[in-house]
Order: sequence, then structure tokens, then C-alpha cells
Amino acid sequence: MGVGVGAVEMGDATTSKPAPIRHLHVGPEFHAEQHIHPEPTSFLRKYVFSMDHKVIAKQFLWYGLFFLAVGGAMAMMLRWQIAYPGTPFPVLGQLIWPQSGGVMPPQSYAAFFTMHGTLMIFFAITPILIGAFGNFLIPLMIGARDMAFPTLNLMSFWTNVVAGLCMIVSFFVPMGAAAGGWQSYPTLSTLVGSPGHGQTLWILGIFFTGSASIMGAVNYITTVVRLRAPGMGYFQMPLSVWGIWLTAILNALFVPVLAAGVLLLFLDRVFGSHFFLAGAAITKGGGDPVLYQHLFWIFGHPEVYILILPAWGIVSDLLSFFSRKPAFGYKATALSMSVITLLSMAVYGHHMFVVGMSPLLSQGFMTLTMLISIPSAVFFLNWLGTMWRGSIRFATPMLFSLGVVFVFGLGGLTGLHLGAISSDIYLHDSYFVIGHFHLTMAASVLLGAFAAIYFWFPKMFGKMMNDTLGKWHFWLTIIPITIVFCGMLVVGYGGMQRRLYNYEAYEFLKHLHPINVWMTRAALLLGASQFLFVGNFLSSLISGKKATENPWEVGTLEWTIPSPPPHHNYDEIPIVLHGPHEFNNPAVAGKDWLAQDEPIDDEPVALGAVGS
Amino acid sequence: MHHWPFPWLTTVDVSRDGWRAEALFWYTTLLCVIAFALVAFALVYSSWKYRARPGGKALYTHGTDRKSFAVTGILAAIVFVTIDMNLVRVSQVDVKEYTYNWPTSPDTVRIEVMPQQWAWNIRYAGPDGVFNTPDDVVTLNEMRVPVGRPVMLNLKAKDVIHSFYIPNFRLKQDANPGYVTRTWFQALQPGNFEIACSQMCGWAHYKMKGDLIVQSEADFERWMKEGVGDAKRRFDPADREQLWGWEWVQ
Amino acid sequence: MSTAVAVTRFPVPEESRRTSFVGMVMALASWTMLFVALFFAYAVLRLRAPAWPPDGLPPLPKALPFLNTLVLLTSSVVLHFGVRPEAEEKPGALRRALLGALALGSLFLALQLAVWVPLWRSGFRIDTGTYGSIFYSLTVFHAVHVLAGLVALAVLLPGAFSGRLVSGRASTVRLSAMFWHFVDAVWVVMFVAVYLI
Repeated sequence: MGVGVGAVEMGDATTSKPAPIRHLHVGPEFHAEQHIHPEPTSFLRKYVFSMDHKVIAKQFLWYGLFFLAVGGAMAMMLRWQIAYPGTPFPVLGQLIWPQSGGVMPPQSYAAFFTMHGTLMIFFAITPILIGAFGNFLIPLMIGARDMAFPTLNLMSFWTNVVAGLCMIVSFFVPMGAAAGGWQSYPTLSTLVGSPGHGQTLWILGIFFTGSASIMGAVNYITTVVRLRAPGMGYFQMPLSVWGIWLTAILNALFVPVLAAGVLLLFLDRVFGSHFFLAGAAITKGGGDPVLYQHLFWIFGHPEVYILILPAWGIVSDLLSFFSRKPAFGYKATALSMSVITLLSMAVYGHHMFVVGMSPLLSQGFMTLTMLISIPSAVFFLNWLGTMWRGSIRFATPMLFSLGVVFVFGLGGLTGLHLGAISSDIYLHDSYFVIGHFHLTMAASVLLGAFAAIYFWFPKMFGKMMNDTLGKWHFWLTIIPITIVFCGMLVVGYGGMQRRLYNYEAYEFLKHLHPINVWMTRAALLLGASQFLFVGNFLSSLISGKKATENPWEVGTLEWTIPSPPPHHNYDEIPIVLHGPHEFNNPAVAGKDWLAQDEPIDDEPVALGAVGS
Repeated sequence: MHHWPFPWLTTVDVSRDGWRAEALFWYTTLLCVIAFALVAFALVYSSWKYRARPGGKALYTHGTDRKSFAVTGILAAIVFVTIDMNLVRVSQVDVKEYTYNWPTSPDTVRIEVMPQQWAWNIRYAGPDGVFNTPDDVVTLNEMRVPVGRPVMLNLKAKDVIHSFYIPNFRLKQDANPGYVTRTWFQALQPGNFEIACSQMCGWAHYKMKGDLIVQSEADFERWMKEGVGDAKRRFDPADREQLWGWEWVQ
Repeated sequence: MSTAVAVTRFPVPEESRRTSFVGMVMALASWTMLFVALFFAYAVLRLRAPAWPPDGLPPLPKALPFLNTLVLLTSSVVLHFGVRPEAEEKPGALRRALLGALALGSLFLALQLAVWVPLWRSGFRIDTGTYGSIFYSLTVFHAVHVLAGLVALAVLLPGAFSGRLVSGRASTVRLSAMFWHFVDAVWVVMFVAVYLI
């Protein structure tokens, strides 16, 4: 009895050869098992403790957007302090730091850059791209009625809320929130350097959000493996699902490593163990603070891909959708993403070139790191190949997708400077690093998230977002975001270290003042232009134009059902006949797209059981 | 002296080997600019050329034919060989000739550095060549080195992780609590330069500043001699704070 | 031109079992990585230590932990006999297996206490260098998992007594048993790594 889902041979529709019988070997449960559950009627079961993946997706979306706003506001205050040290931050400053007349003190600066990173990574990007779009897209795009484990899904969201509360509460405990950087390296993050409860709450928050991520990951992986509709082989899945699925695999395997790291840190702080303690605090038999860095980066490098893979997948799909052309080299793109997933497990040491690691290890990690260029180059070329000879429609989601290609190009290439040992020794811990990873995992992921929101908003909420406002939002985002993060590359090369409350304490950095001021101006513009998005989002929610079933005229399964989809998604589980990007198929007349479950012309489809 | 683009942007490089980081940086930048220009051009050109027009139709291809495969594969291989392998090659040379090529010549100046929140403790072994003895010259936030001689550092942090950063030498090395890390450099010209901390080490991280004074050989020797005399006079075995230092790690 | 689509179907309950099985395998893979990371931490600290056990500290007892390893392995075997498909023909097999595994699991925890308490009393604590940190953290963290496993087995008891659950064909039984075997396997590695070598 086969479990495997055989790839469906998609006969070329243009040939005149007799079409072969399509054997859909369907392991996944698809009919009787996926019962249609009645929609819950009580408010609590329907909107708060819902098990419907679409509702949980929206909960994650609101949750992530909230923390995106918090993390973004913190970034504005940090930039303000950098450019205008000693001047009060307008309005909010007086509320947060009345004792210093609205000026951010250095302790708050440290707490803010720590929490900015933590909140953005674990509580904004992760919930929006993985929590919201992972949840929303996987079942809809593979033709399932829900996730494999709806209860686990519910627990995942609420565990995340507990984590978020830990983080928020930590701001209000004596001595404030964690302030040792988002990596929280010991010994600074042990009692030696951070005596307050903020750091302990940070650890608990990371532990809870990690648990939530693992729950989600197990659910996503299982859903993709088991619940694909008949005919939906792995290579018929939209690339968005590929990206989210690979992310889930990395989450399931590597978040536990972070969990182990923060667990040991927790034991050091609370139970007095000596895993990471060394130096004057310990007289004999001390631990190893660098051990934490190993654990952190074994997780940390895959984490970079955890954040970017969903965006890559989404962009790969959207570029095809709006170029009205099949994704160029679909299989190569999917496989490149898989190869990167594998490589990401073996390159973490490039974060530690100046730690004092053995030379042999450093050189090995450098070479492995460089291998990532090959698959990256392949899917970059495939992205460009998708646009080549297309018929490109520049709707807002497409603009944001192009933006991702642009900023990710910058971010990916600047990784080369940091992957080579001798240039990294100068650039390590400088703003060059900040610029590089913001371009890759902040700018491109953020733009990818916006692309996804503009694109699937109609399916999520049944309303269209305003395209004109969306385009303004795009241009007022891409321009300042490029200025800010490329500016960081420039001052980083200029020698400026990260995490400086007042860089003008150093003579050798004073000349960078004008660049820093311009970066802050761009950052403030970037912050301000997000109100265009907030306004568009809210007003479209209330009074947006009603969305049709398939406003973008694309063929993936979620666009074959009403917007928003009914509680059980599909009345009949669809039978998938084509890949996700069948645009301008010459066998189709009258329109340029083809739904994945749509037979061509009068081609009859018979569904019959074969012996197993 | 080497010349790099935009000299006003960064500090003067006064080291023997700082050019390596610069050379690799600009080499990488050049390759990146070329690669990015191609991507950006393709992006803008196709956006304009293939924009949707009335009656326009996209080509129906999945890009899975042998030709597309070959083109993608060859381009990816070109990127890997011309960019990545090149950078690895250059970096391997640097690593072999400089980064991990610890100086062994007898005129090497050996210094132990023990950063703490938020200062640099600096120790010279004195005439006996052994650290943590009464003739050691100990300074706070001030490192003096002679021009033209290799300087090797042993670093070990007292409390939290710090990172010894001297921008004019394009050099950075973490100092961890618990074990010794090493680095080395050689100055080409005298002058006063800054030592900075580049690893987050607490709220006053930004103030953790030191001076690196590069002197002529004669000035350095004079200063060292005075320092040794002072050190012997001031040595107090009861002052436990002053008793630090470890066996040299070559 | 006509296309026939042939679909292979599985019986419905079998589908659901397969799904929960895939989920559990992923969850245990994730859990394995947690323990792999902890063992990695142990390995790094041990390799960096000049001597192990560090100077002046006694080696850990071996006899009692070895006995405990046997206890836990026996519990896995006992549980297996109640969970395998053949158990369906023997009334009460699952019930007996659960009770046996619960008893042996509890005995394991009791014996763990018998290891910890004298050591702790003798002054060997969690803050006795990395040696003490590793010993207590790993073994206590594992014991917490044993406790969780015991709870997972105990909640099956009512079903086993009422005859609703008769073997591992019920997903709840199968998954709990998988978790129990996993915890046992981790212990075997831990016994070798912490006590023996």
C-alpha cells in the first residue's frame, strides 16, 4: 500500500498524442476523512479560541501587525537618538522618559535595540509570514479543509500570546526589559551583566514562542505531507507552500537548539548552574560563554532562512501570476530553496569569525557559506526568467514582489563581504552587518509580507485594498528603506560599530554625522508612510470594494472558491490536474489562466479507485 | 600606502596588513556592483519591455527545456567561480599570511589585554618576559606600541564579552571570559589612534574607549623603562585587583 | 481525447492514524534536536575541561543508574506487548502493559531520587562547576520527560479498563507509547554519556 504521492504526469496539452491515463496515487486522506465540521456559533469558539485555520491566520496577522508597529516605533526612537542625541523624541519621549525630559537614556537604548530585534523577528515577521500566511495558505493552496491538527494550531497561537505577554511585561519590571542584544550573549545576559527580571522574562518569552513555532511547524509539515488534494504532488504545489513548508522543517529542527540554549541560560540565571559563566565571577571550573554562541547560531543561521523562505516562495508565485507566465524553472526554484535549506544547517560558523574559533573551522565555514551562492543564483535567474517575455501587470502586490527582488539582491550580495574571513574581521559587529541583515531579513521580508497582504487580502476579508494607495505605499517604502539600510552599509564600512548609544563618543566616527542624519530622516519617512498602509488596510476592511472569487485571475486552488472562503473551504475536495502557474496555455481559449483543478476543454476526468 | 575609493569615509589605515581587508572589501564590492547592476538592469528592462499591453500575450514556457537549464546552470557556475571561489582564494591567502600567522620574531611586542565593564586593562611583561610579576607595566585604557615591530595580543575578558577594535588597523578580536584569544598587528606610522569596543557589553558600551599610541622605537623604549621603574615601586601584593595576567599563549 | 484519473484510496481510520503518526514523528524529531543540542553542550564543555571529572570531584555512581537503565528498558518492552496489534486478541493485555510500564517508570523516578539525594547531601550541587551543572540539568530535565510520559500513559488507563482501548491501533495509545520509547532511548544515551564515559 503506497503512502507516497506520485507526481502526476502532466501531459503537454499542445501535443496531439492521445493523453495518457493520469494515475493519481493519493496517499493523503481527502474525502471521507476530512469531514465538514459545522461552523461554531458562539463568539468565543468562532473568533477567540477558534480552530479554523483561516481565523487563526487572521489572529496571527493582527498579532504580528501589532508587534510590527511596536518594533517599528522603537526603531524610530533608536534612529532619533543616533542622529539627534540628547534631544527629546517628539511626543512619545515625554511619555516614556519624563524623568529625563523625553530624552532616551542609554539603558533604555540598550533595552530598545534588544527588544526591537526580538519583537521584529519572533513577534512580527514570524507571526505574519509563518503564522498568518502559513496558516491561511497551506490548507487553501493544497486543497484541504483545515490543518491536520486544528487543536494544536489553536494552542500554537495562544502559546505565542503568552510569549508576547512575557515580552511586554518585561518592560515594566524593575531594571526594565532585556538589554543584552537580541542574541543575549552570556555572560552579559547572566546575572553577571543583567541582574533584573527582564532578561529572565525574555528567556521565558523565547521559550514559549519557540514552543509555539514548533507546534506550528509540526502541524504545517504534517498537513503538507498528508492533506494534499488528489493530484497535488509536491511539484504541483504553489511555491508559496514550498517556501512555508521548508521553513516549517527548519523551524521543527532548529528552534529546539535555541530552546536548549536559552534553557541552559535560564538554569544559569535561576538555579545557579555554570554552563556559560566564566571570568572573575567564577573561581574554578567555569563554563564557556562561547558555547551559547554556537547553540545560538546553529539555530540562528537557519533562522535567517526561516524568515526569508516564505517570502521567496510568495514572490516566486506572484512574479509568475503578474507576468502571466508560468514560473520559469519551477522545479529548479523549488529544489534551490531545498538546497539552501540544507546548506543553512552547515554554515553557522560564519557568524563567529572574530570569536576566536579554530582557524580550520573558520575556513571550512567560509567555503561552505560561499556554496549558498549557487542555489541563490539559480532562483534569481529563474525570477528574471519568469518576467522575460511575460505580459507584466503592475498591481501593488507585483510592485512589492519586484521590490523584494531588488532589496534581496542588495542584501544577498553584501553577504559576500561578511562571508570572507579577512573582510569580515573589519566589518564584524559593524553597521555593515546591520545593513546586510536588514536588507535580507527585514526589508525583503517586510516587502514580501506587504506583497502577500495586498495579494491575499481579498481572499482573507472578501474586500479589495485600494491599489492607488498601495502604489504610493510601495514607493514611499522602497525608497526610504533602501536609503536607510544602504546608508548602514556605508557607515559600517566607515567603521561604525553597532549598538552605540552615542557614536560621537569616538573621534573616528564623528565625520559620519551627516550620513546618519539622512538615514534617520529616511527612517522617519519610512515610518510615516506606513500610515498609508494602516489607513488602506482599515478603510478597505470597512468599506473596500467587494472582492470577486478570483480578482487577480490566477489558477491556484484558493481562487476557485468564494472570497472569503466558507468555513470548510471546499464543498468538494478538488482534484488537481495542473501545476500552479498555467498562464497563457495555448490549449485554453478565452482567458489566459487555468485553475489547477480545471479540465481543459471537454477533457473528461474520471475518478476511480485502483487497488492498493 | 594603498589608495581606496572614498578615503574620506573611513579612517586612515596605518597598519601593515589592513590593506587586506580593504582590498578584499573593494574587490567584493566591485564584483557585487557588476552582479547587482546586471540584476537591476534585467529587472528594470523586463519590467518596461514586457509590461502588459492590449493584445499582448506572454510566452507559454516553463523554462524546463534543456537550453534554459543549461543557461541557468552555466550562469550560476560562472557566479560561483568568478565571485565566490575568487573571494575564498584571496581570503585563504590573507588568512595564511596574516590572520593566523602569529609573529614569532624575537622583537615581537607582547601585550595582555583584559577588558572589563567598561575599560581596557593592559599589561606588558616587563624585562623578565613573564606576565603577572612585579616588573609588569600595567596601564588603563592606554596601549603604547612601537612603529614597525609586530605586536601580538592575548585577550581575556574579566566579566562579559568585549571586542578589541582598532579601526585604523582594520582589526577586531573578541575577548571572552574564561579563555584567551589572540590577534596581532604591526603599525607603519606613529600617531594617536582610538581603541573601541565592538561587542555589546552593557549600557555604557559606547563609552568603552581606549588610546592606542604608536611611537618611535626610542620613545617606546624610554616609556617602557620608566614604566618598569614605576611598576616595581608601586607593586603591592595585597592589591588583589592588580594581580592579573596569565601564561602567554603563542 | 479522454483522460481517466485513477485514485488510490485508503480506508478512513487508517488515514487518520497515518496523519497522527507523521505528526508524532516530526514532533519527536524536533524533540531529538533539543536533546542533541544539550548533548552537544555537554560535549563542548567536557572537551574544554582539563580533566573529567574535574579535580577533587568523585566519579558518579554507576551501579544504581545501570539498574535504572534496565528498569526503563524493561518498561519499554512491557509496554510494547500491550501496544502491538496482537494485543487485541488478549483481553486486558494493554491494561496490564500500562500498569507495568507505570510501575516501572515510577520505580525509575524513585531510584533517580536515590541517586540525587545522597550526592546533593554530600555537597555535590548544581553549582559545583560545569560537572554538577551538567549532571543535574540533564538528568532532571530527562526525569521531567519521564514524568510527562507517565502522565501520558496514565490518562490511557480509563480507556484500557473500559475496553475502549485495546492496542496501539488507537492513535492515543500508539503516540503515548512512541513518546515513552523515545524517553527511554534518550536515557540510554544519557546513561552512557553522563555515567559511563
